[in-house]
Amino acid sequence: MTNTETYNYTVVRQFSIMTIVWGLVGMSVGVLIAAQLAWPALNFDIPWLTFGRLRPLHTNAVIFAFGGCALFACSYYVVQHTCHAKLAFPVLAAFTFWGWQAVILLAAITLPLGITTSKEYAELEWPIDILITLVWVSYALVFFGTIVKRKIPHIYVANWFFGAFIVTVAVLHVFNSAALPVSFLKSYSAYAGVQDAMVQWWYGHNAVGFFLTAGFLGIMYYFVPKQAGRPIYSYRLSVVHFWALVFTYIWAGPHHLHYTALPDWAQSLGMVMSLILLAPSWGGMINGIMTLSGAWHKLRTDPVLRLLIVSISFYGMSTFEGPMMSIKTVNALSHYTDWTIGHVHSGALGWVALVSMGAMYYLIPRLFGRELYSLRLVEVHFWTATIGIVLYIASMWVAGIMQGLMWRAVNTDGTLTYSFVESVQAMHPYYIVRTLGGAFFLLGAVIMAYNLWVTIAGAKGVEVEIPEPAAAH
Amino acid sequence: MFIQHIVGLFTDPMRQWEKIREQHKSAEGGSVAHVFLLAAIPAISGYIGTTQVGWRIGVGEPIRITGDSAFAIAIIYYLALLVGVFSIGWVIHLLGKAYEVEKSLSLCIALAAYAATPLFLIGLMQVYPVLWLNMLLGLPALAYTVYLLYSGLPIMMEIPPEKGFLYSSAVLAVGLIALVALLAMTALLWGMGLQPVFTN
Repeated sequence: MTNTETYNYTVVRQFSIMTIVWGLVGMSVGVLIAAQLAWPALNFDIPWLTFGRLRPLHTNAVIFAFGGCALFACSYYVVQHTCHAKLAFPVLAAFTFWGWQAVILLAAITLPLGITTSKEYAELEWPIDILITLVWVSYALVFFGTIVKRKIPHIYVANWFFGAFIVTVAVLHVFNSAALPVSFLKSYSAYAGVQDAMVQWWYGHNAVGFFLTAGFLGIMYYFVPKQAGRPIYSYRLSVVHFWALVFTYIWAGPHHLHYTALPDWAQSLGMVMSLILLAPSWGGMINGIMTLSGAWHKLRTDPVLRLLIVSISFYGMSTFEGPMMSIKTVNALSHYTDWTIGHVHSGALGWVALVSMGAMYYLIPRLFGRELYSLRLVEVHFWTATIGIVLYIASMWVAGIMQGLMWRAVNTDGTLTYSFVESVQAMHPYYIVRTLGGAFFLLGAVIMAYNLWVTIAGAKGVEVEIPEPAAAH
Repeated sequence: MFIQHIVGLFTDPMRQWEKIREQHKSAEGGSVAHVFLLAAIPAISGYIGTTQVGWRIGVGEPIRITGDSAFAIAIIYYLALLVGVFSIGWVIHLLGKAYEVEKSLSLCIALAAYAATPLFLIGLMQVYPVLWLNMLLGLPALAYTVYLLYSGLPIMMEIPPEKGFLYSSAVLAVGLIALVALLAMTALLWGMGLQPVFTN
């Protein structure tokens, strides 16, 4: 029997291209606001160019636009290839693309106008939240519908990670965004006081845990073995750390609320769960590193592998740093300082962005039936990105520790040694280094965009027939 | 002997790594005793810098630490540096299993110790503890240490450079994690009341 059905690459192509576009936009806004912290005059006294308005635009653009498009593209590609099935519900799949772009566009309009719920990483107002819910439910239908259609009995582990990410994000979004609208553009949270804070950080930390971790582990579990050309180091480890990770992550949120009005036991529980989280996180890191280590002889010819290695190393580093920072005594020093910003970016730039870029280098040439234009440029990208991350993290470590120490320094008579503005002044050199680090990382992304642009310029999308599963399956 | 190695690591690193390797493989074996001397450079410099010179944050009088307190910190600092170098050497030895190389522990420690040389030497700058200046001088030293690690590891371990790249990256990641652990431990101790005593 011949199979003439082809994979649905159209939606994968659309999301892949937009990953690159939104990556450039989001990172550019990031560099701008980093520069504003070093040189405040750069907001030109224009309200919609101020830090307070652009910061949520930056986070939404890099997490949900860049990261989100990468997740859609990769999950749609992976689920089709590992199930030997075309995407279910093609109309809904197209809707997820156009709907998600509409959400991003609406965010780009409302956030600079100052229309916000003020919930971190969930700033969008209620009409947009409803659109997100519709897109997300469609996403779940398409993804799980494809799993149901699969021609291969086994469900590959990457799909477990994608599935957990889709289900959990749906639950998080609906509960955290529950609000009472007072007008078309203004609503109030359904929760009051500390409960609102707890729901917010239950959502906020799992946006990290499921959107930025489980989803991207799904990407790692497909693209790392593919790029390395060998199977995962330990399949058993991947399954064990999947269950441990999804069980533990959901409890870690309270560590964002140490020494607040949240009951002390809840804070301690959040800290203990965060510490336990180290084990499943490192399970994933070890699996990724060991898979790549067996492909060392390919390093000479394949700089994309380097990108992936650095990405997994940063995953290991930041998932060690996180539990450390959740310890209450450490948090008393580190919280509200730039150490936190450095930690987030070692995960976001080091892990999430690099693994996405690695996946795009794999995906985009294949989707257009071309060879990657220049491996040399990938190497240049690798170095500029790595230098950028190191500058960013190092400057934020120093800045954060300094802030923490200055804020708690007291004279013998009990008065504070430093006023707040003195600590702000002391940050100036580190903020310049941070801006430089961000600019390096952005430069790397521009090089990638150019490389991929030349690769696919003038190319038509390819149609690939779905192979029959091997008899052994 | 170790002075020659150190000078060589700056003038002709590749050849010097080979010499260090051959020395450690030879019958009489190599020594890493010079680490005890090198680690004293940052510790003593830090003691002088924090007690005599002091540092400024923003505006105001320079901050200094009392002699007793600085002495205790210098001792802990010295020990932490030694523990750091030897444990990185030990980790290199352990990681050997994953990368299918069997080298003596002393050779692995020598790799860690000699790669860290630029950092030990630049420790002298702590005599004048101005943070931005120290960062400016420290970064090139750190970069050279990373370069020494990546260039030295394949030579010391006698493996192909591509495999060495992975191995070195793993060592560097462990180093970063150790650094984060040190940061967290400092914050922990500081939070529990074990902090330096400042002069008024």
